[in-house]
Amino acid sequence: MLETLLPILIFTALALAVIGAVRRIRLWRQGRPSRVNLFKGLVALPRRYLVDLHHVVGRDKMISNTHVATAGGFVAAAVLMILVHGLGIANPLLGGLLLLASASMFVGSLFVARRRLNPPARLSKGPWMRLPKSLMAFSISVFLITLPTVGLLPEGLLEGGSSWLLALVLAGVVAWGLGEMFFGMTWGGPMKHAFAGALHLAFHRRAERFSTKKGGAGRSTGLKALNLEDEAAPLGVEKPADFTWNQLLGFDACVQCGRCEAVCPAFAAGQPLNPKKLIQDMVVGMAGGSDAAYAGSPHPSQGLGGKPVGEHAGSPHGPIVALEGKALVDADTLWSCTTCRACVEECPMMIEHVDAIVDMRRYLTLERGKTPNKGAEVLDNLIATDNPGGFDPGSRLNWAADLNLPLMADLKQVDVLLWLGDGAFDMRNQRTLRALVKVLRAAEVDFAVLGTEERDSGDVARRLGDEATFQSLAKRNIATLAQYRFLQIVTCDPHSFHVLGNEYGELGGHYVVRHHSTFIAELYDAGRLTFAPWKGGSVTYHDPCYLGRYNGEYEAPRNVLKALGIEVKEMERSGYRSRCCGGGGGAPITDIPGKQRIPDMRMNDVKESGAELVAVGCPQCTAMLEGVVDASAEVRDIAELVADALVERSADDVTGASRRTTASTTAEEVIV
Amino acid sequence: MQPDLHQKQQQGIDVAVLVSIGRHPTTGRARRAEQDARGLELALAIEAELPGTRISMLHAGSQDDSSEAALRGYLGMGLESMTLLEQPEGSDAILPLVEHLAATSPQLVITGARAERGEGSGLLPYALAEHLGWPLVNSLASVEKVENGVVTLLQALPRGQRRRLKVRLPAIISVDEAAPVARQSAFGPARRATFAITTTTSEADSELAQWHLSPARKRPKRLKIVKAASARDRFKAAASKSEGKGGQVLTDVSPEQGAEAIYKLLKEEDVLR
Amino acid sequence: MSEIIRRDPRREWIARNRLHPDNAAVLAALGVNRGGGAVSEWMGPNGVVRKDPRAIGFIGPNGVKRIDRSGLQQGGQATATTTAARDSRRTVTIDQPAFLVAVVPDLTGGRLSGHDKDLLGLARRVADADAEQPGAVVAILFGEYKGEGGGELKEQTLGEAGIDRVVHLDDEFYAGFAPEARLAALSAVEREMTPRFWLFPDSPLGGADLGRRLALRLGERAATGVWQVEADNEASLGWRCTARGAAGSLDIQRPLPRVALALAECAEPVDETRHAAEHLTLAASIPTTLSRIEDLGQVAVDPAGVALAEAEFILSGGNGVKQWDAFHHAAKVLGATEGASRVAVDDGFMARDRQVGATGTWVTARVYMAVGISGAIQHLQGIQRCDKVVAINLDPGCDIIKRADLAVIGDSTQILAALVAMVEQQRGGQRDAA
Ligand SMILES: Cc1cc2nc3c(=O)[nH]c(=O)nc-3n(C[C@H](O)[C@H](O)[C@H](O)COP(=O)(O)OP(=O)(O)OC[C@H]3O[C@@H](n4cnc5c(N)ncnc54)[C@H](O)[C@@H]3O)c2cc1C
Ligand code: SF4
Ligand code: SF4
Repeated sequence: MLETLLPILIFTALALAVIGAVRRIRLWRQGRPSRVNLFKGLVALPRRYLVDLHHVVGRDKMISNTHVATAGGFVAAAVLMILVHGLGIANPLLGGLLLLASASMFVGSLFVARRRLNPPARLSKGPWMRLPKSLMAFSISVFLITLPTVGLLPEGLLEGGSSWLLALVLAGVVAWGLGEMFFGMTWGGPMKHAFAGALHLAFHRRAERFSTKKGGAGRSTGLKALNLEDEAAPLGVEKPADFTWNQLLGFDACVQCGRCEAVCPAFAAGQPLNPKKLIQDMVVGMAGGSDAAYAGSPHPSQGLGGKPVGEHAGSPHGPIVALEGKALVDADTLWSCTTCRACVEECPMMIEHVDAIVDMRRYLTLERGKTPNKGAEVLDNLIATDNPGGFDPGSRLNWAADLNLPLMADLKQVDVLLWLGDGAFDMRNQRTLRALVKVLRAAEVDFAVLGTEERDSGDVARRLGDEATFQSLAKRNIATLAQYRFLQIVTCDPHSFHVLGNEYGELGGHYVVRHHSTFIAELYDAGRLTFAPWKGGSVTYHDPCYLGRYNGEYEAPRNVLKALGIEVKEMERSGYRSRCCGGGGGAPITDIPGKQRIPDMRMNDVKESGAELVAVGCPQCTAMLEGVVDASAEVRDIAELVADALVERSADDVTGASRRTTASTTAEEVIV
Repeated sequence: MQPDLHQKQQQGIDVAVLVSIGRHPTTGRARRAEQDARGLELALAIEAELPGTRISMLHAGSQDDSSEAALRGYLGMGLESMTLLEQPEGSDAILPLVEHLAATSPQLVITGARAERGEGSGLLPYALAEHLGWPLVNSLASVEKVENGVVTLLQALPRGQRRRLKVRLPAIISVDEAAPVARQSAFGPARRATFAITTTTSEADSELAQWHLSPARKRPKRLKIVKAASARDRFKAAASKSEGKGGQVLTDVSPEQGAEAIYKLLKEEDVLR
Repeated sequence: MSEIIRRDPRREWIARNRLHPDNAAVLAALGVNRGGGAVSEWMGPNGVVRKDPRAIGFIGPNGVKRIDRSGLQQGGQATATTTAARDSRRTVTIDQPAFLVAVVPDLTGGRLSGHDKDLLGLARRVADADAEQPGAVVAILFGEYKGEGGGELKEQTLGEAGIDRVVHLDDEFYAGFAPEARLAALSAVEREMTPRFWLFPDSPLGGADLGRRLALRLGERAATGVWQVEADNEASLGWRCTARGAAGSLDIQRPLPRVALALAECAEPVDETRHAAEHLTLAASIPTTLSRIEDLGQVAVDPAGVALAEAEFILSGGNGVKQWDAFHHAAKVLGATEGASRVAVDDGFMARDRQVGATGTWVTARVYMAVGISGAIQHLQGIQRCDKVVAINLDPGCDIIKRADLAVIGDSTQILAALVAMVEQQRGGQRDAA
């Protein structure tokens, strides 16, 4: 009886799965076109899965192993099952492999079940709670029905009149397993993640973010430009169908693991943003309906503990943010994000939350003119004065009146163009800039500044969704830079660093950009700086998001601190897991209230590390962390620490002995 | 409230908003003028309150790239089009505006109190009122309701105080910094909006052409003239002057003494009522 | 020095009334009479010795309290000059003026404002330019004139501001916002007197409005925002003026037209002469106009809740405010609008719309009083455009002190309480005296 039943079951499930897949694909294809090389993507899929995805998943060994056992077991079991039981190829070898695969899957599912015993808050519940059982049902039943195939059980055992009941039960369990694993995969069950996830990896919008065999960097963090030339091209995302199809596909890949939720600073601060929920909101919107079925932590909400589910609903062609009342998400959810990329960094499914959030912000700003709080004012200032504070652009260099900074306009050609950033208008950051100038002079670097020719890089405008102002600033900056010759740009502002280095390229500006910590580390390595030993107290280092996660620079600042004789007391969250200071993405400007402030949490991290001083490398971080009242630690920029420790170089040093032992690089080489 | 609501349904009014090319105070770049934008904001608020209200936006001036960008700044607040009464640079804007308003006869005309460019004398709304013979109210804070051809307004007084006025329509109202801040101008709508261009009869402003214009000089700070009887008095008056660089810091004083010093300052500044 | 105590009930009354404008002068005079002692005590009306604790000592330039036993302490000394000036004023009467300069003061709150006096100073300059043929300054006063002081003193103030003739129109239909009625009255003055110049203070809600209306009624292209007037023989009326244009970014030099609206400090107020301030009445009755603007009166707005951007006097609380009830009470007594630092807002003591600073409101108050606020850069940004900053703080080293025009180092609760007590006491005193 089973022999007749199994193929029917398997092929019915497969057929249903195919129907489901077609329907799902149609959902994705509601999105806007996006050019991807489908074939190349599919070819790259195994590598993307095995290398890049597991690089992220592998941060938690336990889960990673669980997933390998379960997923690997399942894929093998599914294929073999179709062969053995579907097509009736009762080869004992295949049968044996099938037994092995299902056993591996079963072991994996035991771990999945254990994880679900007392799940952390970040995991979604609901259908996800039955997943381990379904996995077990599938693996056990496949195991059992395969036993006769390999002859471990007599063929006829399940045939006899007395055992029809047993066979029926077994068939039922098989059906359950198949239902979850095949049918559910394409009809929106938890296993959807496998189907959508695989395709998402293959057709990812940022193919550049994956490593390549040739050793590609595997980093792609710049936002993609909007086409402003074409008046018919939409400005950002108003409704789910305005996302590109592969973005929609990406949302569908979410496993609701909540790793993004766990690292999101806005969520932790009680601001109304849970990145996981946001992605699920997009899935709800894509399919149409309400979020009532969502079974994870909601978007936080002041006073309520969380925004109740079931009150928001949407459709593929309905607005995501309502003009009045509620739609799919509330605007304050989108404006809470600091664009810190912690979520993107953690997401095992390689979902691009920040892209999606900025896309939706673009619509709100460019089409609706609804940038909250000080947003409109800052954007107006950027338009009228080229800096967010509305300062007289002619006073950009006033702070340095006594420094006689060389100007690009006079020199035309230098090694290093020092990009000052808008910190030039801020008294606190001027101290950092002074320190940096002192360091550059001590190392006899050939540098110059743009002076009043410099404009805001456009970072804030872009992240507030004002692509028009961003592009206007960027194009004018690029035109200014094009007049001069320099080998590289050095800046103490990671935001300018990121924008100049990663986002101007699409608009025609290609530069070598370095953060001042990188540059100082190089100068030190080249023997051009000498430091007095550190005499201060204990120090920790805060990784700025736009330096670390955005640009992968974790080492240079630490090397500089080490060179200063400082042993960094790391905070629990540092490096790629560093917690944002709250200053990015225009978040201090939109200032969405939560139950606490992000910088307060970060200064608490500092306090827990026991450090008396926190070294930073970003004017924004400095401002945010210094704004914390009753802080336990002092906040200083790396440039300041370096400038304070500078000593005259001894004659030996001046002759140019490099500190690098392996390859003695000369200063000139470093500069190039 | 019911009848009120009912009337709202049927009673939209025609509002004309006059706008000019603004000038950013530090960079001098063209922009939407602060007060005019507030005027448009007020009109949009009326529109939201009184469905059926029609807003027409007017600008008299020349047509060029920088002024177009500034005008689009207003359009980005949510208008689909505006009327440009085209005239050469340096012409008197009053005549074409009066003609246009007389011809289109809106019930309410909203203007900013003063332009950010040119003479900026703030005479324009008064000139319109005089020519059209319509009542004018200045320094408007908000429009409360429009009913049976009468508009109820709140006029801003110093210190955030308000005065309620009833004005028979048609009327002209002018707004300054007391009116609600203008909403953000959005790029998309601004880019899509269209201009209806009308050429007008225009007269060059010959009087203005004869005046001597120069960037504003800093006004000398008024010196405190001490007319004292004796040299000793003069000296003491000069020595006891508490102004100058840096403020006065009272340390080691009793709360009463501190309070007294504050009280004196509050009195001097005349903020206690 | 005579030891006899001469009693002058009026002076004694003024001496008791600390809010009387002549209070200090009278106190000084009394002090001198009584043998040069500090004006800290004097004989009350029924022979009781009264003390003024405030008059003891003064705050020196570096914030140290000083007691000057020489009898020339600050309060007394400053007013001694006023007394001297008053006595030295020359009385001027212009019987046969060659022309008239009409001035329409704002008369804010029934009194000549500082702006009005500057404008009258300007009017005098124009009127007195030719000593041979002096013009007369005629002031048109609308509404109730409360004046400064009472009786004769009240009238004197007008004369001392430089007014030769007064047309006082205080019918009730001129009260409140009545531009149409006022314009009709001014037109009547124009018909009867045809002044050579019409001067208005260019103040929003005062002369700025009325002056422009009149200019257009007369068909004159008014000069507005005038801040300088110089004699100029080339100009048709003998003067040229400099006026602010383009939102204050431009100076326009042009001949002074018949109607001019001038800014505060356009000229020095009159301080050497005393004029007749003779009252005139208009011969013809003013035609009543049918008003299309009806003033329904002032709307009560709670000062504490006034929008921060519009507030003139802000009492702002931060992390150093320990008793919020007392803080709110103080704001009420002082009639101040409430503001807050971000910490006070974050901690839930104040509403979000009360936050002053980079991410809150940028305020333009005349007086900003920061209580227990350290003066973080983001906060200071919001008060850049405030005129006077008063700080109450425990820490003399914090940044708000550097920005403050007056800083009192001490506990916020105690100082606020003392200030409230003082204001309440003064108010009480005033009511008694009135
Ligand atoms: C991006 C960003 C934006 C910000 N925007 C704003 C903003 O818009 N507005 C704003 O205000 N802040 C803003 N801040 C916060 C700002 O940096 C400060 O943290 C905040 O202004 C400090 O508030 P405070 O002065 O009340 O508190 P504190 O800094 O704690 O100062 C309290 C003061 O009270 C004094 N004090 C304590 N007890 C007493 C007492 N009994 N009597 C008298 N004095 C006492 C102390 O000496 C101290 O000077 C911003 C910060 C950031 C990073
Ligand atoms: S970028 Fe940062 S703030 Fe934004 S959703 Fe991701 S984790 Fe949260
Ligand atoms: S978005 Fe990524 S990190 Fe967040 S829950 Fe989904 S899969 Fe996990």
